[in-house]
Formats: sequence, structure tokens, C-alpha cells
Amino acid sequence: MGNAQGGQGMEGLGGPPQNPNQKKEDDKKKKEKKKFEPPPPSRVGRKKRRKGPQIAAKLPEVTPIAKCKLRLMKLDRIKDYLLMEQEFITNQEQLNPKEASAEQERNMVDDLRGTPMGVGTLEEIIDDNHAIVSSSVGPEYYVSILSIVDKDQLEPGCSILMHNKMLSIVGILQDEVDPMVSVMKVDKAPLESYASIGGLETQIQEIKEAVEYPLTHPELYEDIGIKPPKGVILYGEPGTGKTLLAKAVAHHTSATFLRVVGSELIQKYLGDGPKLVRELFRVAEEMAPSIVFIDEIDAVGTKRYDASSGGEREIQRTMLELLNQLDGFDSRGDVKVIMATNRIESLDPALIRPGRIDRKIKFPLPDSKTKRMIFDIHTRRMNLATDVNLEEFIMTKDDLSGADIKAVCTEAGLLALRERRMQVTQADFKKAKEKVLYKKTQNVPEGLYL
Amino acid sequence: MTTPPEVPVQDNKDNNDNKDKKVVKGKGKVDLNALSEEDEKYKQDIEMIIERVCENDENIQKTALDQIRSELTQETGTVTSVPKSLKFIKPHYDRLKETYAKAPASNKKNFAQLLSVLAMTLGKEDEREIIKYRLEGGDEDLQNWGHEYISALAGEVGKEFDHRSLSNPDLKDTDVEDLLELTKKLIPSMIKNNAEPEACDLLLEIERPKLIIDYSEPTNYKRICDYLESVAKYQLTPDDIEIRRIVYDVYTKQNKYIDALRIALLLNDRDLIKETFSHNEDKVVQKQMAIMLGRAFVKLEPEDDEDGSLSSLIGNTKLSEHYLYLAKELDSLDPKTPEDIYKSHLNENRSTLSQNIDSAKQNLAATFVNGFVNAGYGTDKLMTDEGSRWLYRNKDHGMMSAAASLGLLYLWNVDEGLAEVDKYLYSVEDFIKGGALLALGIVNAGVRSEVDAALALLGDYIESDKHDLRVGAILGLGIAYAGSAHEDVNEQLMPILADGDQPIEIVAFTALSLGLIFVGTANDDITEAIVQVLMERDEKTLSNTLVRYLCLALGFLFLGKQDAAKPIIETTKTLNAKIAGYCELTVETCAYAGTGNVLKVQQLLKICGEHLEEGKENRHQALAVIGIATIAMGEELGTEMATRSFDHLLQYADVNVKRAVPLALGLMNVSNPKMTVMDTLSKLSHDSDAEVAQGAIMALGLIGAGTNNARAAQMLRQLSTYYAKESSHLLVVRIAQGLLFAGKGLISLSPYFYDRTLLQPVVLCGLLTTMHTCLDLKKILLSQYHYLLYHLSLAMRPRMMITVDEDMNPLPVSVRVGTAVDTVAQAGRPKTITGFQTHNSPVILQFDDRAELGTEKYLSVSTILEGVVILKKNPDYVEEQE
Repeated sequence: MGNAQGGQGMEGLGGPPQNPNQKKEDDKKKKEKKKFEPPPPSRVGRKKRRKGPQIAAKLPEVTPIAKCKLRLMKLDRIKDYLLMEQEFITNQEQLNPKEASAEQERNMVDDLRGTPMGVGTLEEIIDDNHAIVSSSVGPEYYVSILSIVDKDQLEPGCSILMHNKMLSIVGILQDEVDPMVSVMKVDKAPLESYASIGGLETQIQEIKEAVEYPLTHPELYEDIGIKPPKGVILYGEPGTGKTLLAKAVAHHTSATFLRVVGSELIQKYLGDGPKLVRELFRVAEEMAPSIVFIDEIDAVGTKRYDASSGGEREIQRTMLELLNQLDGFDSRGDVKVIMATNRIESLDPALIRPGRIDRKIKFPLPDSKTKRMIFDIHTRRMNLATDVNLEEFIMTKDDLSGADIKAVCTEAGLLALRERRMQVTQADFKKAKEKVLYKKTQNVPEGLYL
Repeated sequence: MTTPPEVPVQDNKDNNDNKDKKVVKGKGKVDLNALSEEDEKYKQDIEMIIERVCENDENIQKTALDQIRSELTQETGTVTSVPKSLKFIKPHYDRLKETYAKAPASNKKNFAQLLSVLAMTLGKEDEREIIKYRLEGGDEDLQNWGHEYISALAGEVGKEFDHRSLSNPDLKDTDVEDLLELTKKLIPSMIKNNAEPEACDLLLEIERPKLIIDYSEPTNYKRICDYLESVAKYQLTPDDIEIRRIVYDVYTKQNKYIDALRIALLLNDRDLIKETFSHNEDKVVQKQMAIMLGRAFVKLEPEDDEDGSLSSLIGNTKLSEHYLYLAKELDSLDPKTPEDIYKSHLNENRSTLSQNIDSAKQNLAATFVNGFVNAGYGTDKLMTDEGSRWLYRNKDHGMMSAAASLGLLYLWNVDEGLAEVDKYLYSVEDFIKGGALLALGIVNAGVRSEVDAALALLGDYIESDKHDLRVGAILGLGIAYAGSAHEDVNEQLMPILADGDQPIEIVAFTALSLGLIFVGTANDDITEAIVQVLMERDEKTLSNTLVRYLCLALGFLFLGKQDAAKPIIETTKTLNAKIAGYCELTVETCAYAGTGNVLKVQQLLKICGEHLEEGKENRHQALAVIGIATIAMGEELGTEMATRSFDHLLQYADVNVKRAVPLALGLMNVSNPKMTVMDTLSKLSHDSDAEVAQGAIMALGLIGAGTNNARAAQMLRQLSTYYAKESSHLLVVRIAQGLLFAGKGLISLSPYFYDRTLLQPVVLCGLLTTMHTCLDLKKILLSQYHYLLYHLSLAMRPRMMITVDEDMNPLPVSVRVGTAVDTVAQAGRPKTITGFQTHNSPVILQFDDRAELGTEKYLSVSTILEGVVILKKNPDYVEEQE
């Protein structure tokens, strides 16, 4: 229908058409040009933003989640309908290509908009055709809204495009993701995989159960009838591989991975921190399934106390927002949270209560077996001399963390380089270890007070 | 069917990654293949065991096999990755297979079992090794290998069965003996693990679903039945019938006759219904069954019915009493005037001058609104109020509709209704008399008593020489006896159909009434008579818009008959081109109504997509849209997906298709005001095409019918100002408003009941008649045939849940009402309703609501709490001590 009279939607007709023969047009826009009638309802104002495409285009949900014939048949049914839709549309497009008329309409819209367009903020919607807008400089204006603008998407505070002379609203700027948040997204998977982690087998299993499987195999949890954990906290001494494990998770998952450092959430202006947290989780939900990784959570998550300075209070408010986002009133859907800290005892108990953070994964200092694995990983690509005996270092009583071992290996390599050797010897390792441990104990030579 | 667990790729990948790295770099002595020392040792152990297995000594092999077995069973590794032992065995799998081939007989069995387990992860997908070795190894201790193995094995049983039946088309039981034996071992262990769906799946795979009956227990029958019932919805005929029969058998085996009766009704098998009903060990259960039959419009003669209580329940004679009780409890007995519904004081009244432009239409609207709103209450402010003389403020056919609205007011209340309507039969106006006759029919809609009062009264007027009286009497009979297959009525009406000299109007209405009365019976005589009419009448007569009711009558006769309607569909193709397409589609869509048959939907979509030249016969296109809705309305997925398809129709199709889309949306969501549908309709209701807009308004009324939905009400109020100057639009808006508040919000028009599982044919007929009426609003509803709208009275049912004691006296208890949740095949005992509120019965239920008893004190006889529910005292109940 309406194929022959593309673009007639602009002229106004007074009142509903009287004669059925003379009104074959399908445009709904006309009705807004009526003289005295209230226009059809269009929902205005703030509403809960739906994730994903329009609700109408969403496919129905299929229950049960467990694998069974019923589910298969239901999905088949949906597929059948989708195929029919496809068939229908292809046929129609062949019969009556829309592209030409669409192109024409697009040109018309461009003409109406004009160039350049100003960018402004919608302050208030007065009625269906008028609104108050403001641009970054200067006063606020009372302007009209063109009928080409989708009014359902207008809401106070959103960015809009304005005509350069009339200042009327000609479009909406869609992209609203805070740039602060968009940088948090991990686009390129890190190189570290689970294989580059020495030991930590139970930890890997725990984090997989809590974070990966709920996203990849939700039916397992459905089968047994439990809700998967929502988040985990990784804690343990420095250098024990917390961040490394998070990287490995990011490497293996196809879900959106957002990473933040706790200190990033502390902002200069009042209210910016909580807003960033909100934004972060909103984006996470939009891009679901997703994993949010907050490193060094103790930056914002310390126990609450009577703070005197405004800055401290602001940090606490940021944490309160985080609490709400983790297990607040709105459900978060397919968003999993990983946090990492090395001072779990200083965190606010509310932050790590079950329901917010269901699993607390401890990262201990490596035992000798693990140390061997870590040495193995780091020396795998090194040219070692035959006299190297790593067992010596593995068996020492020093508290070597994973990071220390890496440092020792690197240091040993550097020492060898200094002497222009192509092989790393046992002596290099010994020296390197002393150096590293010396640094670690902060200028207190080993064994001085023993 | 569950597929064998995929070998999670990741872990293997890790392994490979490491190997790659190792190869690239010829590194020092720390080459451990990325395995810890422990793993390395374990690997060596495994290799050693395998070496021993491969040795020829029988005993060594035996112990080695046992070792592997214990290694495998001990493993409690991760959730989804491969256990370590399997990982190490993998490279030796082929060797093991070879060894197995020449292993000594004593070990063979054990070996085969082991290989079967290994094949679960190591075998190739299409070689079916799990089942192969399992068959060779016998069927002992399936349990020990865990649930995962059982489901993998079950999956392969299905595949093997497929394979065998493919290669051997006429498969006998003997050919699959081994598989059946194995299945019989598998099923109990599945059922023990709460995996009834899997057990059902397996039996469906091997085409022996009947076997499940033997495994049903009081503890699990519900899960089995729920699952199979859901599955049946997505099967084609005759598979779905077979599955439903099984569900029926399971229910009867567990003595759950109420549920069995529900399935019997679903199967629409009279003998089965009769058989179920004859289980009369428990009188109370039988009473509840009688109530169900009454709701489903199935007429049965109870065998030992001394006091006539059962047949009165089947006849729905208490309906009015219960409805008025509900109204009294909910405090809504006061009659409402149309103005209470319009609430025009809420509108910005800027166009007062233009009001009352067409008072005839306004009055007609008020008549309908008054009728719908006060339906069944027996009181109102216009008709029954002595002083109002409302009847005489209408003209001609308006009078007829006004008089007929009395029927709505006394809906289901035969005694009072007859007395009240009787007064008007002595009027001098033919229109009033005709209307009164129609009213007589409406009063009897859905109610059946011993005395055929309606037939006795109306029968006299069928041959009357007054046109309007005949119309009233014929339509009245149709409404009164809809679904009864009453032979006497047939005898009365048949001659009219056969008489070639009758005006087409009368013939069409007669056919419609006969169609309603003999719905779904495929009655030969009537079919023949209708086809005869369609063949013999000349082209000019056939282009009359009322001819659609002849086609519709044919459709009704074959409602739900599916393939049995094929011959008649072929016949309709030979009809006059004017009507052939329309007729064929009507019959076809009716025959597949509510089945969700995707192929039919596809055909119909194709018809909708055609772009016909101007002037060509295109009425059938609109019908195709209604047809999609009729077919898809049976199940939720279809409804949602069809709604999506309609979006495309709006975008691409011709205008006459577009006109039917809102109606189809309305039909699919009757009394179910979904936000999304309402939004779409709201947009369409402002369309520039008058018929699209009117259809959308009507649909708004339908989807909100009897719900008092505030949002829909507001939309309609806005529309009433918007179309204040358009008398036709306004009339439709008013009717929609009347529908929205039908029965003051206590009525539903939905054709589905008992948890939306059962389709009630008569209700569907009422709705379809309205749909066809609305396809030509201008010539039917907006001209003189508006009284056809009264066919909606067929669809009206109180949406109540009343609890009564064993003697049918109302018994208020606390009841939880909430949105129904689909719990089929879910683990544990999930809640069946969500977001519930606790009320005292009686309560009203929304479209997707479900009710639960809120007290332990009573037990409900029926499993589904809808309509009238009998409660029994719970014998185990102990009053809580304060």
C-alpha cells in the first residue's frame, strides 16, 4: 500500500478523512496536524530504558531452559515463523523495491534538517509539538519539534540536533554511552590464558563456576534449580595472580568485559563517582552478557566511618551506589562482577555479603609445587645454562610470590645480558633473587635481624 | 533429546597451546609438557594400565579394566570440562577399541561397558559408539556412570533408532528389541533422577511414548503429564492426539478424573468424555466434572442422576445465580448508565456544539453499551426502568437492537428473562417483536434446561410472514442452541435453507444459526444444503455482503476438523469465482483453528502478500489475516510471532489486508490487554483509512473486553473526542467502550479456559462471527444489521473463581491470585504463580492469572481453580493452636 504516493505525509488534512476512496495514505503523521483535536498519545518523559532492540521486535522467551525436546520444538516453531517472515519480506522487496522511495524520503529528511545542525540539550517538553531547548552557550529557546523526530525517544536531558536557524528539534543524538565508560571496555582480548597461570587450580575452577558457566551454560544451574552466583572477590597478597586470573577470564570469554580500577571511580565533582558507577552498570546491562572487573576495590570500598571531609564522604557515597548496583532493587541480569583487592579485611562488610559477592576466592602465596610451575612458565622461553637448578629457589623458605618469581627471572636475564652471555646461569639467578628480595624487604638486608 | 555432552574445547585448547609453545622453543630440561609432576605421574599410571589392558592375559586385563573403571568413577572434576583421566586415555582410545575386538570373552562385557563410557567423550559424533558398545556390554549398572552418561546414552538410543528405521522402512518390534530392552532400563533411572522430561523425550524418540504410562507414579505423574501436554501442542496431527491419549491414560491410571476429563475435552472425543464422566465412585468429583462439562458446552445425559443436580450443572443453569453472587460479593450490583462509561466530563469538552449530530447512532450506541455493561445483571437504567421508555427513542432496526439488548441484560437468567421479554412479544411494532425474539435466544445463550423454552417460543415465528420476526427468531435459535447439535432445531430450520425462493438475508442467517448449532459436527445434510445455496444462487445475490455468513456457517461445521475438511475445501473451489476464494479460506482457517499449524500460516501469509489489481475480488485477503490469527491463537509462541508478522503486513501489504490486521490482533488477544498490542492498536486507531481506524477501535474493545483496563479506557475516551464529528467512528468507539466494561468488568470473552488449555468452540464462533461482521463494518454493523453484534453474547463468560462446598453452597476461603508461570520441565517444585495477592473468594481472574488456595483447611477437587470449584475438607488439617 502507499507505494504510489511516497512522501505525501507532509500535508495536513483537517479531521479524519471523510471519504474512504480518497485516503489511501498510510502515514500516521497527518493526524498530528489536526486543528483542534488532541493528537494521539505519545508517551513523553522519562521511562525505563529498555535494553536491546524494540520490545516488539524481541523474540519470545522460551521456557524451559533445560535441554529437552520441548525446548527444541519451541525454538523450531520460532524459526519457522522467522523463515516465513523472511520469505514474505524477500518476496515483497522483489515485487516492490522500497529502496528508491526510501532514498527519496531520506533526502527529504536531510533537506528538512539542513546543515549544519546545532547540538543542544532538551530541557523540557511542553506538549507534543513544542519543547524548551538550550545549547551549550546562550539562552533557552521555546522551539517546535519536527514531525520526523521520534517522540518516544525524546526525554528531558537528552542531546538533540537543532536546525541552524530555526533551532527547531530535527533529530536526536543516539549515542549516550559515557565516554568514560566506553574506554573501560576491553576490545582486544589479553594474551594471558588460563595456561599462563601456574597452579591456582581451585581458584580457576571457582571463578569459572561463578562467572563463566552462568553465561555459557545457564541450563546447568536451571537443572539443579539454583541461581548462579552474582559475583566474586579475589583477594590475597600482592603478586599472587589476582589480576592475571581476571585477564585470563577476559581472554577466554566472549562476553563483554569491562574493567575498572577502583580509583577511577573517584571523581572530582560531587555526584560524578556514583553516576559513573551507574553508567558502568547500565552499559554492562545493555551489552549483556558481560563481566565487570573492578580492580583494587579498596580504593572505594573501605569500611564506612564518620568522615569529616567532603571527599571521603563522596567516596563513601560512590561505594553506596556500588552496593545498590550489585544487589539493589533492579535485577542485573547477565552481568557478573569480579573484584580484586589485597586488603579484604578493610572492606565494608556490606560490600562482600553473600548476594552481592557470593564467592570469596583466596589467593595464597604459592607453595613449592606452584612455585615450580610458575618458574616453569617464566623460564620456558629462556635460554638456560645446564647448571641451572631451579629447585634451590623453589625450596627456600622465602615468601616468594608469583610476581617475585617473575622479577627474579627477568632480573637474571638482565644480568646475563649485561655480561653479554646468551645463557642464563645459576649464578645469575642467585644474584637476581638476592636483589629482588632485598628490594622487597625494603632495604633491610636479609637475615640481618635473624 | 539431550545431546551427548560436548567435549569442552577450552581445556583441550590449553593443552594444545602448551604443546605448540614447547615445540617452537627447544627449551631446557624443564619440559614437563605443561603438566605438573603429579599429572605426569597420573598420566604414566593411566598409560601403564592401558598397556596392561592390551596384554593378552585374561586376568591381568580384567584387573586393569577394573582399575580404569574405578579411575573414571572417582573423578569429580569440574562442571563442564573433561576429567583428567579421560584426557590421558584419549590418545589410546583407538588402540583400546582394537584390543577389545580380540579380547577374551570373559572380559568382553566389562570392556564394552567401559568403552561405551569412553565413547561419550571420545567417540565420533556420528558413529554411535556409546550405544554400540553398550549393547554389546549388556545393560548392567547404568546408574554408576552418572546422569550425564545416561542422557548421552539416551540420545544415542534415539539416533540408533532413527538410523535403523531409515534403513528399514517397515521396522518391526523385533528389529529394535535390544533398544527397547535398554530403554526399559534407562527410564527408571531417569525418573528416579527427576528427569521425567528426558524419559519422555527418549520414548518419543523411539516412537513408543505409550511406555511412559507404566512408569507413572503418584509422585511424578504431574510432571510427566505437564510435559507431554506441552509437547503435544507442537506436534502435528495425529501425533498430538496420540500423546494426549497417553496423558489421558496416565491421569486415569492415577484416578485423576478431573484432569483426564480436561484432556478428553481437549481431544474432543465424545466417547472418551462419556467414559470419564461415568467414573462415579466419588460423587463430588463427578459434580466437578459436570461443572466442567457445562463450561465446555458438552451435553451429556448423566446415568444415575436422581435429583437432577448433575444435569443442571451440565446445563449451566446455576450460572446466573453464581454470577450474581459474584457481583454481590464484589459490590457491583448497581446498574450503570452509558454516561458512567463514557465519562465525558473527563474529556476536554471543546466540541459540545458538534455533539448529538446523529442521535440515532448515538442512541444505538447507548443501547449496546447499556446491554454489554449490565449484561447478566437483570437491572439497568434504560430498558428495565419503567419510566425511561428508551425503546421508543430508537427507530426501525435500532428498536430491534434495543429490544434485543434485554436479552443481554437477562443473560443466562432464563426464568426471569423469559418473563421480562415476553411482554414485548405483544408489541405492535414488528421491530420490537423481532428484537424480543432475538432477546429470547440471547437469554438462553450457554444455558440449557430440560424444557426447550426457546424452541417452543421461537419455533412459531420461523415461518412468520413478517421479515423482521423471522430474522429475530432464526438468529435467536442459533444463539440459544449454539453447540447443542439439537436435531429438532435442525428440522425447523432446514426447510428454509433448502427453499430456493427465500431472500438471501434469511438464508444467510439460517445458515449461520445452523452452523452455530452444529459447530464442529461436519453434519452432511447442512453442509450439502449450504453448498447447494452457494452453487445455485446467481452472481448478483452472491455479491451480497451477507453471503459471508453462509461461508462462515460452513466453516463452523468443520471447526477444528483439520484434514477431515479437505473434501469440502475442494468443493468450495468449484464455486462461483466471486465467493470461491472467500469460502475456501473460511472453511480452511476454521478447520485448523487454534492448531498453530505453521504450514497453513505460511500459505495465508503468501495470500496476504499478493498485490491484486484494482477491482479484482480481494475480500479473501482480509480473511487470510483473520485466518492467521485464528490458527495461531492456540499457543503463546505462535501468537507472539504472528504479531511480529502483522507488523510486516502493515508495512508491505495492500490496504484491504491492513484493514484486517487490527481485527486479527484483537482476535488473538481477546480480553488480554497487553501493552504492546494496545500501543499498536492505538496507533492504528488514528489511521487515515476509516476502516483501519474503526477496526483498530473495535479491536481495542475486544482486547480489553470485560477487564475495565484503565489504559484502554483512557485511549477510547480520547478517541471519542478525536472522532466527535464522525458518527460512524464514534459509534464504534462507544461499542468498544461498552465491551471494555462488559459485565462491569466481571466478564471475559476469551475462547480459552482452564489455564488457557481448552478451546471452547462456541465462544470462538461468537468471536469469529463478530470478526466477519467487522470485515465489512460499513455495510453490516454501521447499517441495519448491527444486531449481529449480539453474537458476542455467545463468547461471554464470567471470569470468576467461586469456591463452593460439596452441596454447592458458596464457601468463601482465602485464595491467592497471581500471574501464571510456565513451570513445565523445571527443576524442583517451582512456584506456579508470581506476584500474587491474597483475596477471599469469590475472585475474578485476568487472562493470564492463576489461582491457588491460600488455606490448608480445604482441598480443591479440581486441579485448576477456575469457574466454580468444589472444596472438600482437608482430613489432615489441624487447627493451629493460638
